[in-house]
Amino acid sequence: MNKNGIAFSRFHPVSLFCYFLLLLLFTVFTQNPVLLTLALLGALLFNAATNTARQTLADIKFYVPMFLLVALVNPLFSHSGATPLFFMNDNPVTLEAVLCGVNIAVQLCAVMLACKAFSKVMESDKLLALFGKVSPKLAVVLSMALRFIPLLKRKWGEISEAQKALGYFREESVFSRLASYARVFSALVTWALENAVDTSASMSARGYELAGKKHFSLFRFTRGDGIMLALTVALSAVTLAGFLLGKADFAFYPRVSTVNTDIFSIITYAAFGILSLLPFIFEVKEVLKWKYLRSKI
Amino acid sequence: MEILALKDLSFRYPTEEKDTLSHVSLAIEEGEFCVLCGGSGCGKTTLMKLIKRELAPHGALSGEIRFCGKKQSELSSRESAAGIGYVLQNPEAQVITDKVWHELSFGLENLGYDADFIRLRIGEMANYFGIAHIFREGTAHLSGGQKQLLSLAAVMAMSPKLLLLDEPTSQLDPIAASDFIATLKKINRELGTTVIIAEHRLEELFPIADKVAFMEQGTLLSFGTPREVCRELAAHKISLGFPTAARIWQKLGGGGEAPLTVREGRKFLAEFCAKNAPISQKNDKEKTETSKKTLGGTPALTLSGVYFRYEKNTPDILRGATLDLREGEFFCLLGANGAGKTTVLRASAGLLKPYRGKVQTHGKRAVMLPQNVQNVFIKNTVREDIEDMLATRGASKEEIPTKTAEIAEKLGVSHLLEKHPYDVSGGEAQKCALAKVLAAAPQILLLDEPTKAIDPAAKRELARIIRELCAEGTAVLAVTHDVEFAAENADRCALFFDGEILAPAAPQAFFDANNFYTTAASRISRGILENAVTEADIVRLAGGVK
Repeated sequence: MNKNGIAFSRFHPVSLFCYFLLLLLFTVFTQNPVLLTLALLGALLFNAATNTARQTLADIKFYVPMFLLVALVNPLFSHSGATPLFFMNDNPVTLEAVLCGVNIAVQLCAVMLACKAFSKVMESDKLLALFGKVSPKLAVVLSMALRFIPLLKRKWGEISEAQKALGYFREESVFSRLASYARVFSALVTWALENAVDTSASMSARGYELAGKKHFSLFRFTRGDGIMLALTVALSAVTLAGFLLGKADFAFYPRVSTVNTDIFSIITYAAFGILSLLPFIFEVKEVLKWKYLRSKI
Repeated sequence: MEILALKDLSFRYPTEEKDTLSHVSLAIEEGEFCVLCGGSGCGKTTLMKLIKRELAPHGALSGEIRFCGKKQSELSSRESAAGIGYVLQNPEAQVITDKVWHELSFGLENLGYDADFIRLRIGEMANYFGIAHIFREGTAHLSGGQKQLLSLAAVMAMSPKLLLLDEPTSQLDPIAASDFIATLKKINRELGTTVIIAEHRLEELFPIADKVAFMEQGTLLSFGTPREVCRELAAHKISLGFPTAARIWQKLGGGGEAPLTVREGRKFLAEFCAKNAPISQKNDKEKTETSKKTLGGTPALTLSGVYFRYEKNTPDILRGATLDLREGEFFCLLGANGAGKTTVLRASAGLLKPYRGKVQTHGKRAVMLPQNVQNVFIKNTVREDIEDMLATRGASKEEIPTKTAEIAEKLGVSHLLEKHPYDVSGGEAQKCALAKVLAAAPQILLLDEPTKAIDPAAKRELARIIRELCAEGTAVLAVTHDVEFAAENADRCALFFDGEILAPAAPQAFFDANNFYTTAASRISRGILENAVTEADIVRLAGGVK
């Protein structure tokens, strides 16, 4: 992994949000195996490049079984298709269903890994900056919620420790332990409500009720962010044109259609391929740049 | 120019029969540092909230509040929100957002400033308040001191002309409190911001204050420079929270200018002792008696060479901690922040397992009162909480009411039994929490910073309760920052440092041996009187009380 964090995450939230939105839309609304393979490849490479070894291992343990499961389940339940391979319990298992299953598995993994990449790149700050553009008040509420979760967690620990030190939770029976947890929970709720009174006082003391509120975030939309956004839109436009011209059409039933190889189809594949690989390309570029800079020191 | 003028201000809450404030008049000049003091419930908070219009409570108000020459009702909402900053008591609750930078920008966003302006201003603030290193961090995991400093910075970002602070340091340990007060002084001196602070810890505030307003039961008893207020109050009473030097001055007869700092106190005491021959140590009968008191009683809690660390790869917090606590003894463990004093208590309460060494309670029940006493309460009234504890401890249905009444009587909380534990004041909450702890019938009582959020009167009350418990044979172990409290009340004190419990000794010997980590009284009397570590010692030795 890059020592300076994820290169792609340094773009402005708006650019990033548009990128992932378009990428996911294309991935969800196509069945074309070439496009889906490219989507999976991009998400896979980016995640691999930004994972630690342990995370990669955990990912493999999760995604490989899931891939196999999805790929196997489809032919067991779907019996359409013109080419039966063999019969199971008097039901045909068709070539088309097998290939379709594999395709769905590729699609599912691509979407999930892209979402994973999204959550890696869009930290809470970025999401807030995005929501703040829509509604400053909504951003404040979300920010308060984000602060509250760790606070509640800590308070839960504090109250239950205080209760343990008083002699609660020492009972063996499950029922009385549950009762002790219920006690702590009710205390936690009371505390949260009590706190809210002070928090709202603090908010109105700092002018929350004033009209003309503006939203502020640490992110600045730079030229680089603009170029990135333009690139995303351009690549997406080409891909969309391909979609509209039917270059990305693909069907598994009744027979598996052939992959288009005319020039415009190739252009569509290339545009989407670059779009999907963008985060990985930035990651590699940054690593190389650092290696180069260091070699000059 | 007068920045704030209150004229004949009276206020009554709708549910109360008496005025909470009656006929308060005072004027604060621009750039002044004003301390508002008085016991709990004297109306300090109500007064402050009335000045800040957004927080003003509902009720019957008469009189006039003028800010910068304008009537309060004539101020625009922007003038009021930005012009008057308000910092509350509770560090936890007044932080609003999830990130430090967002907290700083919150007020500026509300005022509708441009992004570029905000960016520069919050950068300035982060630098000035020394919180640049946590700029991008989450607010949830900051320490209490950092949170309070952040709240101050967030308020100052809106560049208020008047800064109101309601007991901002009461939840902080003394070191964080000192830092906070030093920052306030810096703001006042360097930026000229007018400051009004309500506090009961006055040792450090008096020397820097321009004006002191002393309130009692809703009236302004005295208002003037700190020395004027001391002189005016010297005749009938000086409040417990006043600086040690001023209290000694008053008890030794007053006269002349009141000393406010340790330095002035030393000067005063040296002159006083030159005129009146003090009692030397040899002739001090009381002293010889107290120091002769030997370690009695059977062991209650024994720590022998205890080692503990929280995780495998983290450093040891306890490194051979050894302690011998006796029945009926009050032991104070002092030490810096984050040194691991609380860890000693948690190990003693059996909440932690040491990886080496032994914690023995000799068959006695150890119960701990946590630092934040609110954590003890889990029911809707104080009574329910005490009864629940008694029931959990296996008391029979018939004896619960009598036992509850007994405990409440003992701690003086009978009138609070039907209240919600969150609705009582700091000192009262502590007594109620202690009542619940006592319902668990502890033979070893473990107290974590028991004097933290309470006023001097409540502190005195706490000392009385601890004395009573000790007389009944309960062993009490307290970890505290409060050297004055330890010096006045403990049987033995020790310093916790580097994972060890160092030099347990009687407070007189302990504090007399320390040069820096000691009481203000000891610093005032060093070299002038022998072995005086408390205010009472000085007054007795200097011959004030015959």
